[in-house]
Amino acid sequence: MAVTEVRGSSTPTVDDAPPPAPAGSAAWRRNFQIAWPAALLGLVLFACFVLPFLAPIPKPIGGSVLNSLLPSFSPGHPFGTDPNGNDILSRVLYGGRTSIMVALAVNLIGLAIGGGLGAIAGHLGGIGDSVIMRLFDVLIAIPSLALIVAVSLSLGPGVRNTILTLAFFSVPAFARIARAETLRLREQPFMVAAKLSGTPMWRVVLRHIAPNVGPSLMTFAMLGLGVVMVIEGALSFLGLGIQRPSPSWGNMIADGQLSLSGTPNLVLWPSIALFLTVVAFNQLGEGLRSRWSGGR
Amino acid sequence: MTDVAQSGPAPRIISAVLGSPALRLIVKRLLTAIPILLGVSILMFVLLNLLPGSAALQLLGPQATPEQIAKLNDELGFNRPPVQRYLEWLGNFVRGDLGKSIVSKQPVAQVLPEKLAVTGELVALAFVISLGVAIPLALWAARRPNKIFDRISGLFTTAGLSLANYVLALLLGLAFAVKLPWFPSFGFTSISKGLGNNLYSLFLPAVALAFPLLCFYARFLRSDLVDQLQGEDYVMTARAKGLGPWRVLLRHAFRNSSFGLITIVGLNISTLIGATVIIERIFALPGIGAYLLDGILTRDYTRVQAIVMIFALITVLANLAADVLYAVLDPRIRYGSN
Amino acid sequence: MRTRTKVCVLLAGALVLTGCTKPGETGNSSNTPQYGGTLTVLDDAAFSGSWPTGLDPATNTTGGGNLTQMSAIYGGLFRLEANADGSNAKVVPYQAASGDYAPDGKSITIKLKPNIKFSDGTPFDADAVVFNIRRDMNADCTCKPTWQLDGTPEQAITAQGSDTVVIKFAQPTATAIAAFVIANVNWIGSPTAIQAMGDQFAIKPVAAGPFTVESDDLSQKLVLKKNPTFFIEGRPYLDTLIVQSIQGDQPAYQALLAGQAQAYEGMTTIPLLEEAKNNSSLVVTQQPATSPYVIQLNTKIPPFNDIHAREAIYYATNVEAIRTGLFKGAYPASQSFTAPGGLFNHSTIPGYRTYDLQKATDIINQYYGGSLNVDLGTLDAYVANQVDTELQTEWAQAGIHAKLHSDQLGALVQNFIGGKWQAMLQTAGAWDPAVGVGVGFRFGTTSPFSGISDTQIDDLLQQAGQISDPARRDALYLQVGQRISDQAYAPFILAFAPASVVTKGVHGPGLDTLIPPVVVNTAILWSDAWMEQS
Repeated sequence: MAVTEVRGSSTPTVDDAPPPAPAGSAAWRRNFQIAWPAALLGLVLFACFVLPFLAPIPKPIGGSVLNSLLPSFSPGHPFGTDPNGNDILSRVLYGGRTSIMVALAVNLIGLAIGGGLGAIAGHLGGIGDSVIMRLFDVLIAIPSLALIVAVSLSLGPGVRNTILTLAFFSVPAFARIARAETLRLREQPFMVAAKLSGTPMWRVVLRHIAPNVGPSLMTFAMLGLGVVMVIEGALSFLGLGIQRPSPSWGNMIADGQLSLSGTPNLVLWPSIALFLTVVAFNQLGEGLRSRWSGGR
Repeated sequence: MTDVAQSGPAPRIISAVLGSPALRLIVKRLLTAIPILLGVSILMFVLLNLLPGSAALQLLGPQATPEQIAKLNDELGFNRPPVQRYLEWLGNFVRGDLGKSIVSKQPVAQVLPEKLAVTGELVALAFVISLGVAIPLALWAARRPNKIFDRISGLFTTAGLSLANYVLALLLGLAFAVKLPWFPSFGFTSISKGLGNNLYSLFLPAVALAFPLLCFYARFLRSDLVDQLQGEDYVMTARAKGLGPWRVLLRHAFRNSSFGLITIVGLNISTLIGATVIIERIFALPGIGAYLLDGILTRDYTRVQAIVMIFALITVLANLAADVLYAVLDPRIRYGSN
Repeated sequence: MRTRTKVCVLLAGALVLTGCTKPGETGNSSNTPQYGGTLTVLDDAAFSGSWPTGLDPATNTTGGGNLTQMSAIYGGLFRLEANADGSNAKVVPYQAASGDYAPDGKSITIKLKPNIKFSDGTPFDADAVVFNIRRDMNADCTCKPTWQLDGTPEQAITAQGSDTVVIKFAQPTATAIAAFVIANVNWIGSPTAIQAMGDQFAIKPVAAGPFTVESDDLSQKLVLKKNPTFFIEGRPYLDTLIVQSIQGDQPAYQALLAGQAQAYEGMTTIPLLEEAKNNSSLVVTQQPATSPYVIQLNTKIPPFNDIHAREAIYYATNVEAIRTGLFKGAYPASQSFTAPGGLFNHSTIPGYRTYDLQKATDIINQYYGGSLNVDLGTLDAYVANQVDTELQTEWAQAGIHAKLHSDQLGALVQNFIGGKWQAMLQTAGAWDPAVGVGVGFRFGTTSPFSGISDTQIDDLLQQAGQISDPARRDALYLQVGQRISDQAYAPFILAFAPASVVTKGVHGPGLDTLIPPVVVNTAILWSDAWMEQS
């Protein structure tokens, strides 16, 4: 609760002055702040989702085991091969699909469920607010490791279950932010008007709250995408998460570290891919935040 | 509480204390902690009971026959209904009895303090390192936003956020225990063998734990500082008064931004226990993380519940402390209101 | 014990034949053992470095994995010894003076060495041993012997005088003494301490082994001190032995290089093994293999109730590619549940269906319309996942499409018991196929972890466990292997074995010499381990 109120000091509200029309080099800089991470992200997405169809890239599984553990820059295998002889470049690209999709799904669930419940709680106030937020407090108060391992073991492995497990983290976080932002809106004239005119709750939430709360949730989601990709790796380290042999950046790094000093390239390449993607998401989030908060 | 303070014939000093908004906030928050702790214990117990397999299976391994598994589960008390087991546990817990570990038969209260101390020390050290680096880094970066130092530190901190902490832990070990034999690659030296030796044994794990935090704090603080510097009236005023940039940064902007930082640090505590288990494992530290993880795998609910409740309590208290601190730093905050 | 020698000759022959094992670096054995020093041995937190239920043989559940901890504290009535090159492996009396079978094989008589005392000063006599073994027979550990006693433990296990223990069985049990080396009955604790300490005995056992317990942080760190009243004069060499649990091969490797630990039991990650072999400060000793990987096929349900599907799996599995590609030739191939480091080894079986992609494709085309879908499961572990992935790739070339699922322990056992599984990658066999969980566990009709229902195999396995003549047992196990091969019940891959890694200057049987692993890891003889003192 407190966190988001504090954060509110730097997040936009409806009565923030609209950004002045950008002009000259300032405008260029502002656009560049969004353009370069967007371009980097586009590049990553293109490489993961489109490139495998265009370029002669082998499948991520099914390589010849006789090509096991080739070093980087081997002919035909620019990043080398894994113990099964699979091309690491291909695994990085296909693994990226899984990692990015998991991260997107987790944040979308957080955005929809957490954001929705948080907005409703903030809007309702009183007992409804207390009940919803105490439930999330319970989730937040459990040590994250205990929660993640218990949920993940109960659900079993696989992409869908990994998404559900990680959603246990994203939902309460989004709820807190949405609630705090909604509270800031409560005293706004249009909200008071909507309340007086007896507009139904779903309509208030969708028409009035969502458009105003959306930007800060979106920037939070941008930062959250990177976090989810890293946590997915932590799950893999504990032997949970995305099931082998399907690649994800998390499980590639987690498997690679088992023989880190013997085969560093198993860890190096997916880590670089993860880094570039996290940079892109984070910078894009910052750029958008800066734009929405009036160009700071 | 307010009724007592206002209507009671208590001496003025007591009524002043009881009526104090800070105390009301504390009492109110402590009362809400009870349903939260109850919810935590129920949810954790349910989750442990939902896990596939059983305690006996985990303990006996893949070579156990169904008969052996059934026999051991009976002996461990898992043949009783879950609700009964939960209520028994709750009854003992309320009376202050944490019970015996289902698996090792050791009293939890006997094992826990030592392990808590290791993890507590590790986390404290990690906080000191992360804040000690993050604050100067953020101040320096925020002094000239979007200039070269800010850019470099921005990339550096993003890299830190995207680096898996177990890889970092191993790399630190390779660099500073193997190549340069400066620190131990594993193990814990108790504080009874000297504070120096103790801190020395915890240094690498604390750095591995602190690094992602450091990056997170630095990023958070830097953008908040930039917002303060560029947008807030009091900064303009301070500048107009002719205060130097460092003074404005430290005396005004940082003071305000520190509220947010305190709250974030408070919230991080329960997340950290997740990171510590991996770091404790890699550096073979006898902390609470590995003990908790083993407890979950073996459905040792007395052990798991004790740890989870302690951390839930710490989380609640830490958030409360952050709120109180926040209120102390900024008297404009209205207590207990939203 | 007369029969043992024959077994060992046979075993030595097997080792020479395959030539898979090379002697550990004992070339500097001109060094005479030196006294003193503190040795830290690392054990994997996922296996031997995990002792959550403590170290009391009657109450712990992980004794089979904790051979180092148990043998250092308790010593053992018997132990497995071998020549430095792993040959001539045999079970020899240690705290016992002798162990003999009755002529009908239905009882054993154990004589104890005189004048052994527990570290609390109480006598290590027949009453103490009987007290322990009776108690151990109620244990929950899979390390409890699978003996069928003649009556209750009180009736079947008795003391005769102060130095003789007799154990009676309901049927001939020719492997009873061999079973000791991996069983909880081998480890004798002080009855006085057991009765006085209650649950605390599991934390700090009192026994008569080479070391006594100084401190014990379960599944974390065990500090052991030299036992001054140990029954062998001049042993152990080490002053202090520390058993430290560690998170797998990479942290262990770093700890050895950093000089903080001197030994690591059971390294299995191939790239790290190659690294360690090239490191002049480390000595890597590849222990002889005793347990092969096997692809269990569930012959009770489709598709593997049909021999054609099973044959297709045999023909589609390229063992040589797995052996040389995935494992860099470190381990020997096997066509049966035996391996070069174990007893009764037959690495090849006449008529075994070896890799032949054309035949596999033909079968799939002829009987399954060119495509067969199967489920292939395993226990979720790094190496097993790699083997499964490789099998999926190889089988796909023949039109067999494997859906992989690697499960946590709980889900795996549920799959087995549910009976709906189709194929499972597992390990089978042991140093002595009748000892421990044994071969019946994977191939017997009544075992829930078997996919085979074949009375002929059941009969052969039962006979092999009842007779003591090694030549006849060898013949019986060969028949079992032949039957499994003929019926295409379960293709075998290769026999996997861990390696011991020590820093230079550390010596000891099982550390820098070979001893066949009895369960998974080699049982190191800690009383004889020593460090060069600088």
